[in-house]
Amino acid sequence: MECKLTGDIRCHELCERLSEYIDRELAPSLCREIERHVAGCPACRCCLETLRQTVALCHRAGRHRIAAPLPRRLKARLRSLAKPPAAP
Amino acid sequence: MTTATLPARKKIVDSDTELVRAIIAGQTDKFDELVRRYEHRLYSFSRRMCREEADAEDMVQETFLNAFRYLGEFRYETRFRNWLYRIAVSTGLKKKRRSKFAPERELPLDDLETAGAGELNEETPAWARAPLERLLNEELLAVLNEAILALPEKHRIVVVLRDLEGFSTEEAAQILGLSAANVKVRLHRARSFLRDKLRGYFAHGM
Repeated sequence: MECKLTGDIRCHELCERLSEYIDRELAPSLCREIERHVAGCPACRCCLETLRQTVALCHRAGRHRIAAPLPRRLKARLRSLAKPPAAP
Repeated sequence: MTTATLPARKKIVDSDTELVRAIIAGQTDKFDELVRRYEHRLYSFSRRMCREEADAEDMVQETFLNAFRYLGEFRYETRFRNWLYRIAVSTGLKKKRRSKFAPERELPLDDLETAGAGELNEETPAWARAPLERLLNEELLAVLNEAILALPEKHRIVVVLRDLEGFSTEEAAQILGLSAANVKVRLHRARSFLRDKLRGYFAHGM
């Protein structure tokens, strides 16, 4: 599948690997290929940078535990669980 | 003829090991400490698995019950945290199957694929270059959390484990019983979906 903007057939193929690139899970040779391509392809650069920012925002969202405190009802249920009867 | 023996698997020692050993050895009152260590994380995780608060509460409770029930089978071959999340995922999925809600829709993968470079006929937007501190606020977090909840379950679990809970690809694969390759594919689909939602939010508001 070629890129609608650049007509480059590699765009689609490389875009499919961008998550692995962001996660540093690709071989160095493929990383270099992506970097070379992205340097000359604004569409793929946009794709990479928006994806990278999305991942960074998700990481931060993960640190914000669900804002609501643990519901009192659940807390009570867990406290009773935490005192399990001794095994026979 | 020699008898073939399986190589012993390496035992993992982490910050939970001592506590888990004590509970398995009979000090069940220490289970309280295990609950305290994980109740908030598991509740947060469960809220992202179940839309309804009551379902998330049930999921946390059942997870701890199952963990207590099966703790004696824990073999220290993974981090305890990973084992607990495996139970949480399994508990959540079973709960979902029993629920009356309609089956999950599948993510339109073809649409997601064309929303890659081929659809981005623009320079990188300002939000993608902005410092996170400037972007992060309650509204954006709410948008992101809603987008996560809008993901089909099989994609949502992967992105939550990887990008929100901080598990590695291998750990997520182990927790979900998937191959690492499968985790990577689902993760990329999920991130692309979230990216498109964020792009929509920053372009037009949601």
